[in-house]
Amino acid sequence: MSQEVEETLKRIQSHKGVVGTIVVNNEGIPVKSTLDNTTTVQYAGLMNQLADKARSVVRDLDPSNDLTFLRVRSKKHEIMVAPDKDFILIVIQNPTD
Amino acid sequence: MSDNAVAPTQDVGSADDLSDQQDEQEIRSSKSKTESGGDSEDFDPWTKSRQLAKPDDQLDLTEAELGEEFTKVLTPTNTNVIRNLVVFSFKEGEYVPAPLPGNTVTLISYPGNSLHVDSEEARLQIEESDEIGVPLPMPNYSAVEAQEPVVEGDGEGDGESDDENKSDAGDDKQGDEGETEGDDQEEEGKAADGEQEAEEGDGEAAVEDEEPADQKKAVVSQGKKRKLINQFNYCERAALTFSYPKRSVDTQTVPPPRSQFGANVLQWVIYDSYLEDFEEQQKDSTKQADRKRSMQQKKLTDKSLQAEQLNRKYLKCWQILERMINQNIFDDIAHDYRYWEDSADEFREGEGNLLPLWKFQYEKTKKMSVTDIIFNPCYYDLFAVCFGSHDFMKQANEGYLCLFTVKNPSFPDYIIQTDCGVMCCDIHPNYPFLVVVGLYDGNVAVYNLRENCREPLYMSKGVNGKHSECVWQLKWGPDMNDGEINFYSVSSDGRVFNWILMQNKLWVTTIITLYLENGLVDGPDGTKLTLKSCGCCMKFHPIDPKIFLIGTEDGFIYKCSTAFSSKYLMTYNAHNMSVYRIDFNRFNSNIFVSCGGDWRVKVWEDMRADPLFIFDLGSAVGDVKWAPYSSTVFAAVTTEGKVYVFDLNVNKYKAICVQAVVPKRKNKLTRLSFNEKLPFIVVGDEKGVTTSLKLSPNLRVMVKPPKKQSYLDQTTLQIAKLEKLLSLVRELPEGTIVPDTATTVRS
Repeated sequence: MSQEVEETLKRIQSHKGVVGTIVVNNEGIPVKSTLDNTTTVQYAGLMNQLADKARSVVRDLDPSNDLTFLRVRSKKHEIMVAPDKDFILIVIQNPTD
Repeated sequence: MSDNAVAPTQDVGSADDLSDQQDEQEIRSSKSKTESGGDSEDFDPWTKSRQLAKPDDQLDLTEAELGEEFTKVLTPTNTNVIRNLVVFSFKEGEYVPAPLPGNTVTLISYPGNSLHVDSEEARLQIEESDEIGVPLPMPNYSAVEAQEPVVEGDGEGDGESDDENKSDAGDDKQGDEGETEGDDQEEEGKAADGEQEAEEGDGEAAVEDEEPADQKKAVVSQGKKRKLINQFNYCERAALTFSYPKRSVDTQTVPPPRSQFGANVLQWVIYDSYLEDFEEQQKDSTKQADRKRSMQQKKLTDKSLQAEQLNRKYLKCWQILERMINQNIFDDIAHDYRYWEDSADEFREGEGNLLPLWKFQYEKTKKMSVTDIIFNPCYYDLFAVCFGSHDFMKQANEGYLCLFTVKNPSFPDYIIQTDCGVMCCDIHPNYPFLVVVGLYDGNVAVYNLRENCREPLYMSKGVNGKHSECVWQLKWGPDMNDGEINFYSVSSDGRVFNWILMQNKLWVTTIITLYLENGLVDGPDGTKLTLKSCGCCMKFHPIDPKIFLIGTEDGFIYKCSTAFSSKYLMTYNAHNMSVYRIDFNRFNSNIFVSCGGDWRVKVWEDMRADPLFIFDLGSAVGDVKWAPYSSTVFAAVTTEGKVYVFDLNVNKYKAICVQAVVPKRKNKLTRLSFNEKLPFIVVGDEKGVTTSLKLSPNLRVMVKPPKKQSYLDQTTLQIAKLEKLLSLVRELPEGTIVPDTATTVRS
């Protein structure tokens, strides 16, 4: 990853309420994370599935459409997912912090 | 009769034995039932009630007659036979008693076509008609017929008949018949012809058999048509081929390799595969050679290209995620930004306020001053902020141009770093990625935001190819006739340049060299020098791209044209100190506003030497801008850190909103810009902070269309509003507006 990307990532981690960031490669393996091992694996696996399903939903409704981003708002967190073809970026934020 | 008498028949007709028996059985069974039940009384009245049924014409006999006995005698002799019958015998010559006719009397004789199953005839018939049965010796009959004369005549044809008979016998598989025939043949052979051998007897036996065969023929001919065979010379042979015994042979092939496959087929999967197929077809249609070449080229740069693309994608995704995070962090501000309307405005007639939204700042520009702010003409939320310094003594050796978006207040989307302070910039209206920056050292640089922000696309070079002093304002001009992109710049060296973006360099031409109109002074040795004027700001006419206004350090505003450089179209004696900004009204291009270091903001009409409005803001006015939404609203910022918003339609004498945005002594506001789409402004200060402020409803009052003219759109109404206002001001006789009696606005 280029320096610019690294800087952006660093900045994101310094933002208010950001709990963690995970980078998952196209094989579903987390390659970069600020969370502990177990949580990372769990998030990576589940978000991969969710993103796949969500994309399937979007594409099924209109095949020329595509999923670009995914935000899951929960009681405790907001999980933001950028599901690309080659990677998945996950940011977990606690917006009330 | 006795049965009848006993039979307890209430129904007369059914008097046969069977029913009687059944009745009796029933009675018995019921009896046994009653006996077993031990109640015989029920049965007796039932039997008594029975009456005897007899035919009406039956003779009534007395008891004596009934008891009378009749005696009948049977004898074994037939009395009807005549025993003494005689017949004349010619042989004897006398009557001889005729033989007894016998006891049998034929009453009826009727020939039927039914055969008894066990009879010989029936047996033959079955054999002949039955397909499963052994085939009949059909040739036998014809052979017999042919043989008949031989047998009857002499024994010469014996040999032949022998052979034939043998073959016949071979064919004949009726064992029983053969035996009987054999018996017959022996007797006949002895009786008729002693010479004949036993073998020949077969043939005779066949002859004997002829009669029944004829009968059979008659029967058979009805069923099947028999093939006629040559009577004299024939041969029939039969052979049974060897039938191979059946056997079953099994072989098992090696099972083909199997694999499990599972997939979901969804609509979009089908869609994708179709698209792929379509692309393949498109590729095939292009020449193969072309493809090969391009493939080779691709392979060379493939890896680095891929990595770069991936990086870009990463960056883009992270940037959007950052925006999301910021949206969460600044959720309340984001809501205010879009939806909050100050309800207090309803009760404040003619006054409004500003709601601070986000503060945009960048770590590295904290100590720098905001020198220019401009919104991107294409993306309403994106704006460029220039960082430099207005202080001659504190020039840093770096400058920045940051493009912020309100979607991400925490960090600029694009950062351009320069060697010295950036004083101004402009974004191309048609190519919103092209940004030109003017630097403090007089250089200009063009950047392409899409490509990279590190290296400029074009950079002015050399001593002659740049301004000799600070560049104060830049403006992209309309494209040249041959499509070349160009821009104008003004500098305090008193020149206005036109820069054309050539293939690989910037081409610069001087549009005008500013001079002081009465600036002819005596130079050394009796020469005359023309004093230059220093441009401070520049504004192009919104309709006529040739006309532009230049504000100078001396406080003059010159109306110039790009067509000729020697003469000013108009000179306005505008300010006592340098002019900081000129802005044309959005709805009426004859009206413009200027501000300067003499604390004043003045509204001018084209070609009118005196201003229409003068406002004194109590400190140097850094920037003034007309609002994009209203023809009478403009805003200004002062070095006191205050933002002034005027609506001339509401109040001609003072600002309808004065709000301090930054602390008075520590900080100064420098620049301001209206958002083109949403009701907010951004103001820049000396500490490198850009603050966005939302305009309250009173600051953006729209014109209500009159009742009869509700079809008029807002633009027309705005123009009309300004025109009405101007007519009020214009009517005043000239000279009544004394510049020095400007309204002093106090907060």
